[in-house]
Amino acid sequence: MNNLTKNIIRFIVFAVLQTLIFNQLEIGYGFHLMIHPLFIMLLPFEMGVISLMGLAFLMGIIIDIFSNTYGLHASSLVMMAYFRPLVFKFYGPREGYDPLKEPNVFDMGNRWFTYVFGILLLIHHLWYFLVEIFQFNQILFILQKTIFSAVPSFLICLLLQSFLIKKSKTK
Amino acid sequence: MRNLIAFLRRFQIFLVFASLQIISLVIYVQFLSFPRSQYLTTASNVTAKVLTWENDVTKHFDLSKNNYALQRENIRLRERLPEFMYTLSAGKVKVEDTIFKQQYTYIPGMVINSSVTRRNNYFTLNIGSKQGVKPNMGVFSDKGVVGIVHNTSEHYCVVKSVLTKDINVDVIIEPIHLAGILKWDGHDPRRGSIDGISNDLRIKKWSRVITRGGSGIFPKGIPVGKVERIESIEGEPLWNVVVRYSEDYRTLQRVYVVKNVMIEEQQALEGQIPPDEEEDVLR
Repeated sequence: MNNLTKNIIRFIVFAVLQTLIFNQLEIGYGFHLMIHPLFIMLLPFEMGVISLMGLAFLMGIIIDIFSNTYGLHASSLVMMAYFRPLVFKFYGPREGYDPLKEPNVFDMGNRWFTYVFGILLLIHHLWYFLVEIFQFNQILFILQKTIFSAVPSFLICLLLQSFLIKKSKTK
Repeated sequence: MRNLIAFLRRFQIFLVFASLQIISLVIYVQFLSFPRSQYLTTASNVTAKVLTWENDVTKHFDLSKNNYALQRENIRLRERLPEFMYTLSAGKVKVEDTIFKQQYTYIPGMVINSSVTRRNNYFTLNIGSKQGVKPNMGVFSDKGVVGIVHNTSEHYCVVKSVLTKDINVDVIIEPIHLAGILKWDGHDPRRGSIDGISNDLRIKKWSRVITRGGSGIFPKGIPVGKVERIESIEGEPLWNVVVRYSEDYRTLQRVYVVKNVMIEEQQALEGQIPPDEEEDVLR
């Protein structure tokens, strides 16, 4: 399977998982599971920022349509896509990334993935809740929601990779 | 000109980023107050179809609870039928009723998609303009008020629930008919608060809160909840009244949309009042 079809299938899988399963899981206490940032994370290393942001916008709008948030997810995913190359550069090896590898937890190692995806997920969630609540006297509530949602989302994204990525390798 | 192109090329990435951000935030702000089209909401046909498939699976999870609620409501209504009452006076006279005229009719519907944990929560119903649903109609369930219709398509509609930022349903606290506005602060889907109640008034705990029916969106007397706590607001002569909702929005399925037959008459009459300086947000 080449890269393009793989990513198209991933796009559909992530959109369906997020809209039909994770959007419906409402635990309360500020837990809000979002796994679609993982799609942006898993796109290949050599992809340009502009196409990244375009894809992020498309993905975000689809999630928005299904959850009545009208552009909120699009905004925060574009934000994350904008920061992705910067964070990658900061944590990258000196000789640059190996283009045959993929930015997932198996190819790049736990440590790298935790730092990079953790930071990107925090940026995404912080922007999302900042715009959603938009009251600066509730900053503690925003931070609480960010932490409470980012940590379980991160763990679920780790789990999901072992389902989605190993399968694509064997095919 | 060349400088401009060089500038654009240099800041290309940031410009694309900024324009995408602006597009999405503009959509967000516009749709929050007034949705211009159904296509970016769950009222659109494709989205609602997919959510209906999803709901076809998940609606069975709360089936017994919902059946029980409907059964109880049936009992309540049946108790009012004349056949179920003992007749005290033998000779009944049938009167053509000229005193009462039907003002509200109800359209039954089912929630096919909902959220309760976001800042603004919307419910999607499986009824739309074909069944006569229009924006700004009230929605309630057998236990309490649910929200106001935000946007409709042919077969579906999106309801702005009481769990949104500026829902502003006007309510009264029952025994003394204190009017206030229902708000939600985004923290707990089981509790809301009432604004605009002066703190020289005494409010009893656990007194009932019902809709006021002022602007014809809801009939008077639909339950909202009960007063749970009364807190003073610092620096203002007002109470912050915390209301515990009587409906559990997390498991909501069957709802009714209120259709007020006389709303146009009322609005035409109220439209003759000259506009106030302050923005009137009462519902």
